[in-house]
Amino acid sequence: MATLTYIVLVPMTYLAVGVFAAGTLWRLAGLLRRPRLGLPLAVYPTQKPGWAYALADALLLPTVLRHNPVLWVALALFHLGLLALVLGHLELVADIPPLQAVPHAIFLGKGAVGLAMLLCLLYFFSRRLVSPTKDLSVPEDYLLLALFFLTVLFGSQMDWARNWYDYSTMSVNDYRAYLWSLVTLRPSIASVDGTGHTFMLVAHVLCADLLLMAFPFTKLMHAIFTFALNRIRRG
Amino acid sequence: MEASVRDELLRLFGSKLTREMVLNLETCSRCGLCTPACHAYASLSQPRYAPAYRAEVVRRVYKRHFTAQGRLLPALGEAKPLTDAALEELREAAYSCTGCRRCMVCCPFGVDTQQILSIAKLLLVGAQAEPEILAMLADVSIAKGENIDALKAGFLEGVKRLEAKVVERWRVQAGATPIPTEVEGADMLYVALAGAHSIIPAAAVFNAAGENWSLSFFEAVNFGAFVGDPAKTRRILDRIVHEARRLGVKEVCICECGTAVRVAKQLSGGQPFRVVSLTEVHARYLREGRIRVKKLPGSFTYHDPCQIARNGGVYDEPRLILGSIVEDFREMSPDPRYNWCCGGGGGLVAMGEETLDFRMRSSRVKADQMRESGADVVVTACENCHTQLDNINTHYGLGKDVKFLSSLLAEALTDR
Repeated sequence: MATLTYIVLVPMTYLAVGVFAAGTLWRLAGLLRRPRLGLPLAVYPTQKPGWAYALADALLLPTVLRHNPVLWVALALFHLGLLALVLGHLELVADIPPLQAVPHAIFLGKGAVGLAMLLCLLYFFSRRLVSPTKDLSVPEDYLLLALFFLTVLFGSQMDWARNWYDYSTMSVNDYRAYLWSLVTLRPSIASVDGTGHTFMLVAHVLCADLLLMAFPFTKLMHAIFTFALNRIRRG
Repeated sequence: MEASVRDELLRLFGSKLTREMVLNLETCSRCGLCTPACHAYASLSQPRYAPAYRAEVVRRVYKRHFTAQGRLLPALGEAKPLTDAALEELREAAYSCTGCRRCMVCCPFGVDTQQILSIAKLLLVGAQAEPEILAMLADVSIAKGENIDALKAGFLEGVKRLEAKVVERWRVQAGATPIPTEVEGADMLYVALAGAHSIIPAAAVFNAAGENWSLSFFEAVNFGAFVGDPAKTRRILDRIVHEARRLGVKEVCICECGTAVRVAKQLSGGQPFRVVSLTEVHARYLREGRIRVKKLPGSFTYHDPCQIARNGGVYDEPRLILGSIVEDFREMSPDPRYNWCCGGGGGLVAMGEETLDFRMRSSRVKADQMRESGADVVVTACENCHTQLDNINTHYGLGKDVKFLSSLLAEALTDR
């Protein structure tokens, strides 16, 4: 079990970050190597500056708000939650003074962010159980939802434990010691091994690693491509 | 499918993989938001008519042959090899989409289903499985370009007959040469369709405006674009480009044909002339006070042709024209960007009876929109749209008149 814990928390995490970074760069380089079509492909009327409207389209999803407000709320909650969790993880690695300009506890929302994201993911999943979205869905769609759900569930469980039922078997400093050891390439799992939450952590990291590795090779690349494609639409 | 055929088709597929195309293929999250945006889905409620579903038919082949995921884990994205069965699916997807790009307005990313389906059309051309009628019409257009000298006499004879009709109806405006041809140094080359309705009213308005124009020997419609063959599309367009360059015109005005306007505007870059639609020219005459018009009785609505409006940006001009010549104008859609496609684009109307049943079933929402406008007359500025709207009018018993915008403007011309 200790070996398995080590494999997931150390080599697999390095591998995941490497695959994520190299894979994403490879995909972007592959895209940039392609010739341009060189034809106007905008939808009219166009508004200027196109890049500003494209940025707003990509970040604020106005077409979703117009055509499916419920989905827009879920997407907004999910993506903002994701941003909050990414920032939380950055703060878990080390103190980032600019992020503490407004003092707050590491991981905003006292567990509510993770809960909101899980509810959003359940909603996304339920949409894929009924036609016509069901007819459009492929196994990748369900697998990614499942991976996100499990990643957030196991991660939130550790957050909820500290915030909701005072189960502080691992403190922020313990997580930080582990993550900092990875960043400094002196990996050590001593601070997070053999505690009541080690299983949760391993499960969380395992799912997150799989997600990171899936990113460059799945539809998750929409997180980057949306800016370019919206720019084309805006002319 | 033989391996050599498949390899050739995959080479064709690869030739379409520009940066824009890869973005279109890689960015869809299958959220389904585009589904109700398609008139065919909105009318028929069948998932196969969802834009993302059609795109997915192409995307599955793309994944299998061009992506790491599709090669290593094909089940994950339901990647499919290119087979005869896949070609059949591609045909259904390509020729149930009119290329209106209404789905693109609703998509959070701006995925261009029309672009994606241009791959399907090209593969069908490569496999010689494209609709025969479209291929034949494209070949006829190309042959005309190659044999124009032999065909000129017949064409000019036909023009003489049309001139008599122009003089008969618009005596004051007709001028000495009602339909000029081969005018070197003309300001404008007008490219019409092969039909009196596309030439006579336009001639009346050009002459009334004192335009220095010349009628093209060629018809504007580009069947190469309908069938999705880039080489034929280019050759058909080049006939017009060469003629415009030979005459030294400043503008090429494309008649009321949405696809012709879009193709000519998109693919004529870098020429010493600019390309405009007939609607833009007519609006310019009104703005500049070059023609005088009267108000026509009755109630009118306007159907924005997708290739001219949503995909070409010509929204204000038809409204300016109608505002000048009718008292009672009613918008068909509160936001013209969301106007329903007529259901006849992408070559479907040109395929005639073969597609009539589908075109009528898939345009129920368009019929509702026409009915709910409350107008007596539905006006449009596209040949395909006109034919389709006329078919819808008959099929659904709407009891409306369907008219070309240019014809209406010619009707409204007055010498006072």
